Amino acid sequence: MKNFREVAAGKKSLKKDYVAVMMWFMGRAIQAAAAVDMAAKKEFAGMPDGFTFALSVMPNGPHMIIGKDQRGFVRYKGWDPDGNKIDLDMKIKNIEAALLLFTFQESTTLATARNRLVVDGDVAHACAVMRILDIVEVYLLPKIIAKLAVKRYSGWSFRRKYLGRVLVYVRSIFSF
Amino acid sequence: MDMPAYYEFCCRVKIISGHDVLERIPATLAELTARRPMIVTDKGVVGAGLINIVVNAIGNGVDIGAIADDVPPDSDLRIVNSLARLYREKGCDSLLAIGGGSVMDTAKGINIIVSEEADDLMRFSGANALKRALRPLIAIPTTAGTGSEVTLVAVIKDHEKHLKMAFISNFLLPNACVVDSRMTLTLPPAATAATGMDALSHAVEAYTCLAKNPLSDAHALAATRLISENLLKVTLNPGDKEGRLCMASAATLAGIAFGNSMVGMVHTLGHSVGSVCGVPHGACMAILLPYGLEYNMHKNGHLTAELLFPMAGAPVYAATPKEERAQTVIALIRRMNQELYEATGGRHARFFKEALDRDGREMVPKERLPDIAETALRDGSISYNPEDLDYDDFLMVMEAAWEGRPLDTGLIRKG
Repeated sequence: MKNFREVAAGKKSLKKDYVAVMMWFMGRAIQAAAAVDMAAKKEFAGMPDGFTFALSVMPNGPHMIIGKDQRGFVRYKGWDPDGNKIDLDMKIKNIEAALLLFTFQESTTLATARNRLVVDGDVAHACAVMRILDIVEVYLLPKIIAKLAVKRYSGWSFRRKYLGRVLVYVRSIFSF
Repeated sequence: MDMPAYYEFCCRVKIISGHDVLERIPATLAELTARRPMIVTDKGVVGAGLINIVVNAIGNGVDIGAIADDVPPDSDLRIVNSLARLYREKGCDSLLAIGGGSVMDTAKGINIIVSEEADDLMRFSGANALKRALRPLIAIPTTAGTGSEVTLVAVIKDHEKHLKMAFISNFLLPNACVVDSRMTLTLPPAATAATGMDALSHAVEAYTCLAKNPLSDAHALAATRLISENLLKVTLNPGDKEGRLCMASAATLAGIAFGNSMVGMVHTLGHSVGSVCGVPHGACMAILLPYGLEYNMHKNGHLTAELLFPMAGAPVYAATPKEERAQTVIALIRRMNQELYEATGGRHARFFKEALDRDGREMVPKERLPDIAETALRDGSISYNPEDLDYDDFLMVMEAAWEGRPLDTGLIRKG
């Protein structure tokens, strides 16, 4: 039955590279926020130890893997899903949809509502991951952009917003 | 029109609807190459004589493998497992789900176990865990509300662990549904009212929440009109066959609408009240629907306003100033609840404080409201609500819905 030529999708390397870099930094920022922010800590506390989730772009990545180890520490586990048992897989349907998400033209919830994001796994944990993504976006982005990325821009205290932002950035850059 | 840049719509359920359509079941089973179905139902349906109607309508053409009537009001994991064993023992090859939401969800759960040849249903919980088609399932609704006959969702409760597990997959869509007016004629007025308001909540949330699309809109508007015209009528006159068929069709339409554009905070909180306090789903929907519209008013008031046309008709719509239409819709829903309260002799609760169980005990003690707010944070439907809600927001809405006072709009944090 191999009498047809398989047509590979266009590579769109630049777009993939941009999304890969954003996911890489976002992954490190999630690890940082889990150590710094009480609300993010609480969300991760509701996940079992050893729990791993992935945010991926279909069909071939890039990927962002986050895991909670057996001691309860949250770790960015890189971009390669191989060798990781993924408990919750959140898949963006294509690179164009990922670009909308990572250029903050579309929020995570709107991407879900528009069927651009497919969730494989426990819905309650997916809700928690969405809230964590919103927290991290508020830390990483200036208000004018973050307001596009989240459903409701939170009225955080000065201490949480600015001290937390510095800590999240420093921890993300130096990965600790 | 709010046109999404991208949307998907899928309803591959064959819908057979009318006054005498149960007789189509043998042919429908034959189309699915099914020969020996198991009937899944509950004792209420059997007691109302509905199984006899179905069995008589089917005649001798179908070899019924088993009739399982022990589905509880809240679908239960233990029952799903035991009925899956019965299905295998009796050599069945398909399922007929005859009942309301719990029965259909139970049948979907059984179908997962027997089709996947699995022992552990938990393995398939969550979204998209199923990867292949299941055994033939025909849904025959006996309430006009749940819409489960055309949805891709099943909710099954693990009573031992106090967990409600959601199963979401296109493979959970029944192959066919048979909507026959005879099946809802015996539904008592209070259940008619609550399930009808459940269908209205599906249509209204499908039309006003984030995942709306033009195809689901069409279904939601048609459902809203049919419910507004017929719900009070059939509650007052349960034998109204035309009205019953209109309500059954409305529930199916609303099911297609929300199956494709999902629902928002009314369901988020409703699922939580049901899970924490055991209040029937329809009663929760009736109480919470006006609160959901009030809370989201600053985001989707223009969409709520459009519902005035199917709810009240062209003359009222034209006579109501544009800026008052959304508030008029909310007032109409509250008036429907009041009229249903009077039509059912006070059995249709208007707020949670007056929701009582069969022994007359309060079902939602005020001290449980924080538990309800906490549980709501784990419900996936919140993603589709136009405005965000955190624990404090859920609690604020629940306190108002418990007391039966309108929301204090000054307390709504606008994003």
